[in-house]
Amino acid sequence: MPQVFWEKCLTQLERDLSPQQFNTWIRPIQANYKDNEILLLAPNQFVLDWIKDKYLSTISSLIDTLSDNRITVLLDIGSQDVASYSEDSKKTAKEPDSRKTTINRNRKNSSLNPNFTFDTFIEGKSNQLGRAASIQVAENPGHGYNPLLLYGGVGLGKTHLMHAVGNMILRLNPNANVVYLHSERFVAEMVKALQHGSIDNFKRYYRSVDALLVDDIQFFAGKEQSQEEFFHTFNTLIEQNHQIVMTCDRYPKEVVGLEERLKSRFGWGLPVAIEPPELETRVAIIKSKASHSGVDLPNEVAFFIAKRIRSNIRELEGALRRVIANSQFTGHAITLDFVKDALRDLLIIQDRQLTIDNIQKTVAEYYKIRVADLLSKRRNRSITRPRQIAMTLCKELTNHSLPEIGDAFGGRDHTTVLHACKKIKELRETEVGMDEDFSNLIRILST
Amino acid sequence: MSAQLALNIQLKDTATFDNFFAGENEALLNALREGTETSFYFWSATGDGKTHLLQALCHEAVNRHIQPAYIPLNTPEFTPAILDGLEHFDLVCLDDIQSVIGNDDWEQALFHLYNRIQEQGHRLIISANTAPANLDVRLPDLLSRLSWGLVYQLQSLNDEQKQQVLQQSAQARGMMLNDEVAVYLLKHCPRDMNSLFMLLEKLDRASLQAQRKLTIPFVRQYI
Repeated sequence: MPQVFWEKCLTQLERDLSPQQFNTWIRPIQANYKDNEILLLAPNQFVLDWIKDKYLSTISSLIDTLSDNRITVLLDIGSQDVASYSEDSKKTAKEPDSRKTTINRNRKNSSLNPNFTFDTFIEGKSNQLGRAASIQVAENPGHGYNPLLLYGGVGLGKTHLMHAVGNMILRLNPNANVVYLHSERFVAEMVKALQHGSIDNFKRYYRSVDALLVDDIQFFAGKEQSQEEFFHTFNTLIEQNHQIVMTCDRYPKEVVGLEERLKSRFGWGLPVAIEPPELETRVAIIKSKASHSGVDLPNEVAFFIAKRIRSNIRELEGALRRVIANSQFTGHAITLDFVKDALRDLLIIQDRQLTIDNIQKTVAEYYKIRVADLLSKRRNRSITRPRQIAMTLCKELTNHSLPEIGDAFGGRDHTTVLHACKKIKELRETEVGMDEDFSNLIRILST
Repeated sequence: MSAQLALNIQLKDTATFDNFFAGENEALLNALREGTETSFYFWSATGDGKTHLLQALCHEAVNRHIQPAYIPLNTPEFTPAILDGLEHFDLVCLDDIQSVIGNDDWEQALFHLYNRIQEQGHRLIISANTAPANLDVRLPDLLSRLSWGLVYQLQSLNDEQKQQVLQQSAQARGMMLNDEVAVYLLKHCPRDMNSLFMLLEKLDRASLQAQRKLTIPFVRQYI
């Protein structure tokens, strides 16, 4: 059996190569056997070329010396589940590419994450509108807002809402053909379909779904052929009143490299912004996540984490995971002191970034002015507004006293700082642009 | 009489968890070995044992019949194409991710790999020389994912612990490294574990060749 020879060959290679070489190139190889043949599968072209170049002759001659019969060693791209690794899988493994490009129409699973539902979505001011629109779409797909476009920064819950729409459509109509995918997979599948002459199947498949959920459409940027195909898919689905839901990291008009006709169509239905969650929502999110993990998180702990980690929900979840993992490992109760200690290395980084200097630099860059202007006596509005914003950010994000902050802004009085904070608060309530600038700056400073 | 030739056989210490000195990293090690999160990110200065841990994890995975892939990203010849199809492995270890951060093609490829691994429910383990927030990642989507899973700092060993590791490692090679000499080495050499291990390797060969014990006057010639 060739299998024996391959295993012996592996043992020999493990001895001859460095652990790093062995783990990188040899260990990931999957082997298939036929009478006098060993087919080695590499995960991709790059690895295949590398093995061919550097190891194939060694492998072949090793096998040669180990066996009496002539055994041919072949190399191909492919993969198979280790568990399902059996005689039956030989065939699929031998034709890895055609297998991958066959779009599995009857896939029960639509790639939806069952945990992302409206029930597990925490509502706050920042995402109220997005949630309401999503529920409407899910209750009445194809006949309300179509397409529904959720946009906003990373880690704010866009994908969660999108899955929730899909899950609810399926719950209300279990026969609905709902497909969730990331824009990159659309591109990758299309490229493969083109290579293997199965583009018609591809087109038919995506143009026949009842609801198409496409995540992160900004990754279509610069991929003209994919945009063209998506454009047609989009039109067909909308004409048939089939639902489309998309997410984007910004308002589509601002995505560079996206065709104008797509940008305008994406705006047809309802574009809804998802904003970073405010403190109370972050606290609610973290408490809810904790209770899903069976952990009762004390309020002061939830507030502590939510106050310190403000950029996005993923990072918040990461911090919570870390706390829970440490507590389970040490058996220690989750107290404020325990959390401070558990997150020490994460929090030090946050602290390091939030200095007055750093805030001044960031604000100056954001408004394209010089730090020196912020500290100067100049009083025209293009300088005073950024200066007031910077002062307010210093007050909110650092522990410096007001006199210290005033001092750091060219020796101003602490009452000037107070006035700036009041002014900015007012402006945020009356001017949309100001509120956006402020939120953006907070996001930049806390990632 | 000429110096005795040392046999040109390099004894390779297989990197396992057994020969990793945990120090203050018990919680990290536990999470690394027993965790089920999609992503696990750990960072520390060079020479603290990140590569060792990833190799140990691959080694252990094979014993548990889990198929691992290990990719040292600090290899200049690599292109993002090396990440294609890796999501089919149960466990993907990416070493030294900082080497490719800042390059748009790599960042996109990493982001997509992350998503594909998550869809498959497989595990991604990443090592780096600094925390996610300090990496200067250009793609925010990637950055937020790096901070999503468990993030740990691998704590460096203190000098006493390093001394202990050196002495144990010397013993495993059949050398006697007494306290006095060990302390001397730690005072006079770069103290990252990579350098110390390389030095130990050198001393091993030298002492075999010269058939001498490790004394301060002897080791002084080699540092």
